[in-house]
Amino acid sequence: MHRFIHISMQNQLFSISEAARLLGVSIDTLRRWDAAGRLTSIRSGPRGHRFYSQSDIEQYLQEIEAVARNWAMMTVAAEPHPDSYCQSRDIFQARLEILQSKLSKIMSIETVSLITAVSGEIGNNSFDHNLGNWPDISGIFFSYSIRNRIVVLADRGQGILTTLKRVRPSLNNSYDAVKVAFTETISGRYPETRGNGLKFVKSIIVKNPFSLYFQTGNAQLHLKKGDDQLDVQQTKTIIKGCFALINFEGSI
Amino acid sequence: MIIDVKKFGTTLVSRPTGREAWLAFQPVLKEISRSEKITVDFNGVVVLTPSWADEFLTPLKENFKEKVELINIDNPSVKATLEILNETSLP
Repeated sequence: MHRFIHISMQNQLFSISEAARLLGVSIDTLRRWDAAGRLTSIRSGPRGHRFYSQSDIEQYLQEIEAVARNWAMMTVAAEPHPDSYCQSRDIFQARLEILQSKLSKIMSIETVSLITAVSGEIGNNSFDHNLGNWPDISGIFFSYSIRNRIVVLADRGQGILTTLKRVRPSLNNSYDAVKVAFTETISGRYPETRGNGLKFVKSIIVKNPFSLYFQTGNAQLHLKKGDDQLDVQQTKTIIKGCFALINFEGSI
Repeated sequence: MIIDVKKFGTTLVSRPTGREAWLAFQPVLKEISRSEKITVDFNGVVVLTPSWADEFLTPLKENFKEKVELINIDNPSVKATLEILNETSLP
């Protein structure tokens, strides 16, 4: 699928290889997206080469977050697009290593190591806490935009309150559950005593020029460099599982 | 003996892979003498998280205590993981 339209001078055109680099995907993926209408190209030149407009690419990049959030929130369960869907831990591991490899071409070892570790911990946390108990769709949404310096992870699992309530029955709202998960060593996988994952995530975000937005249930957390208090707030929207947006704009 | 961690992989992030590494290494650990030191070398590891380390390093330390020595721990995620583990679960 493609379009023949006039593009203004301000709206720069990128070749398919440039677009692939900006979006952090392969050229084959872009061809598939074009055919599926997910991100359509503009055909130009005598041989009909594919070009991508700057505005389309920018719009697409902004959409990753919205697509993940919508998927985590929608009442009718459906699998995400295969490019963003990690049904199993093995698929997540493989794609995380691809992210790591792409980051390592343009970022410092500090950013590569820490952003991959934070993403890996949040993604694996979803699997750890929902294995055998996924309410509808198993696995996680995992996508990223290297150009926009964001990583997005989401799951349609049970959420932090439900998993922590098993070991801390007094917890009765997501607000408190988020606070406990990010500050205390507690495992929702009794009798395991360990549970450092989100504490680890917090320790990295507050010491580096990164930020994290995390929502579970009706509680959201904004975390950034230098924070010594947890900024947790109640939301009107509800995400039954978890949604995380990691920003590494200020890469090291 | 020296445990070359990168032989388990360079992106060590999940509990199951950490547990698998621990189980796979049992035959080797059973053969070492009581006095032998265990050097855990993180050279070449790019990404480590507490999930993996909790399944491998924590039981290693529980079993061999002060005989365990960690080297080449300069990687940022290795450092951050060890800090968290030292605060909580590492004996």
